[in-house]
Amino acid sequence: MSAPALHAAPRRRESTPLGRAVAKVFAVGLPWLLLGFLFLPVLVLVPVALTDREYLSLPEHGLSLQHFASLTEWETGWLPSMMTSLVIAAIATVVSVSAAAAYALGAWALTGWWPSLTRVMLLAPLIVPPIIYAVGIFKLWARFSMIDTYPGVIIVHVVLCLPFAILAIGASLAQLDPRLIQAARSLGARPPTVFYKVILPNVTPGIAAGAVFAFVTSWDEITVTLFITSRAVETLPRRIFTGIADSVDPALAAISAVLLAVTLLALAARTFWFDRSQSP
Amino acid sequence: MRPFDRWAVGLTVPAVLLTTLFYVLPIAQVLVLSVTEPAPGLANYEQLLGSRAVARVVMTTLEVSLWTTALTIAASYVVAYALVQMRPSVRRVALFMVLVPFWISVLVRAFSWITILRREGLVNLAVTGLGIVDEPLQLVHNRTGVIIGMVHYMMPFAVLLIYANLAGIDRRIMQAGRSLGARPMTVFWKLWVPLSAPGIAVATLFVFIFSLGFLITPTLLGAGRTVMVAEYISVQITNTLRWGVATGLSTMLLVAVGFVVFIAMRQPALRAAFSGRQG
Repeated sequence: MSAPALHAAPRRRESTPLGRAVAKVFAVGLPWLLLGFLFLPVLVLVPVALTDREYLSLPEHGLSLQHFASLTEWETGWLPSMMTSLVIAAIATVVSVSAAAAYALGAWALTGWWPSLTRVMLLAPLIVPPIIYAVGIFKLWARFSMIDTYPGVIIVHVVLCLPFAILAIGASLAQLDPRLIQAARSLGARPPTVFYKVILPNVTPGIAAGAVFAFVTSWDEITVTLFITSRAVETLPRRIFTGIADSVDPALAAISAVLLAVTLLALAARTFWFDRSQSP
Repeated sequence: MRPFDRWAVGLTVPAVLLTTLFYVLPIAQVLVLSVTEPAPGLANYEQLLGSRAVARVVMTTLEVSLWTTALTIAASYVVAYALVQMRPSVRRVALFMVLVPFWISVLVRAFSWITILRREGLVNLAVTGLGIVDEPLQLVHNRTGVIIGMVHYMMPFAVLLIYANLAGIDRRIMQAGRSLGARPMTVFWKLWVPLSAPGIAVATLFVFIFSLGFLITPTLLGAGRTVMVAEYISVQITNTLRWGVATGLSTMLLVAVGFVVFIAMRQPALRAAFSGRQG
């Protein structure tokens, strides 16, 4: 005989069939209701972006791509700000991932106060509210005439991307066997060889993940960027922020829909294709 | 120092230098300015503590942050608990619905909520169209809108944190409880909830801290009517140029966050969560 006791103890249950039905609806319905709440803003963007009217609304007589068309016109400012964000994010990613990889490798090989102290310092941007950093860097950049310059924005983005890259690369390193170093060194490898030829090739997945995180962090960064830019360096988030604060232009829905489409494609590829091929 | 260690330390230098010069220094400067601008002394703090406007902003921040944290954690637990119980194929869909908003820009989400909640927005279109209310509801540009937007921003983080914790719990404990005659409710409250305490604690800490210093969503969805600390600081810098007030309030926010982290780290559940993640 199998063990029915594992599944339930029916005699003890006092709930009525109705009560159980209500509980079931609650247990299944509530989570999906909340998931709907999470997904609702995503769904809404699509029809609003396709509206045939001049103002923010649902389509009335038919669907229209006019607001997407307006994105592609250089004068509307959407394309230039996309280019700006792309350039800044690309440079910030390369610099922050290189510095993060070097740091993660070095700190992994060390023990003592230096790695633990610097780790807290480097991860601080994850906890410290960005508004405080915005106040400080605004003051500093004003003093050095770095407000509204590319180097000014890129340096800030590098600093903000570092913790994500370090965490991603650190997660990759955590799976590495420390004896690898001893083996390499006892075979006579010099320190640079150990780092670049032995450890580094083993953390490429972490570096790739760190690069994705860094890029998205820079591409999306708004709080600090808002303070240190004005006209000369207008990133895409800054352009969107000004757009929302000034008016509710349907072009905003169109740009949002574009960003959404990119996110959806990347995620769909990951969740439904990559995960499936990975998991048994 | 051995040559190998020297190399290792050398590798850490660029990142440490970048952060020291361009992160730690500017923040240290904020702390210094709060006691030197416009004149040395604690005048800024006296002014902050005596100000009605600041008191109101701090109260708003605390109330909104507490509501956001409570609603986010409750809702996220429901979702995370359901995720663990789902069949893998269904779970993939549900996780997808959590991850999409997670990866979408905070600005895009705020914009989308404005289109949903504003006077001529979708919700009001629906409720007035169906004749449920005569006057459109005031759902955005007030505290309700800010809290909806903030809960929506925080939920994916909290769901993923709690889900990671719940998924790691040994399910045989629940089977044992059930076979010993515990009712489903008892299993939930006496087994699931205590075992997921570390996940709940970490999620609560992060959501509360993020809420305290949140700028974008309150600014866009509050539209100047629900002003939280971050927005107040930003106005002091960009409009009224009161650096003493801005840096003083920033320092107080930093101290508040530090205090919350310090208190949280004294809880065994949180220490376990963080040490568990490290090892």
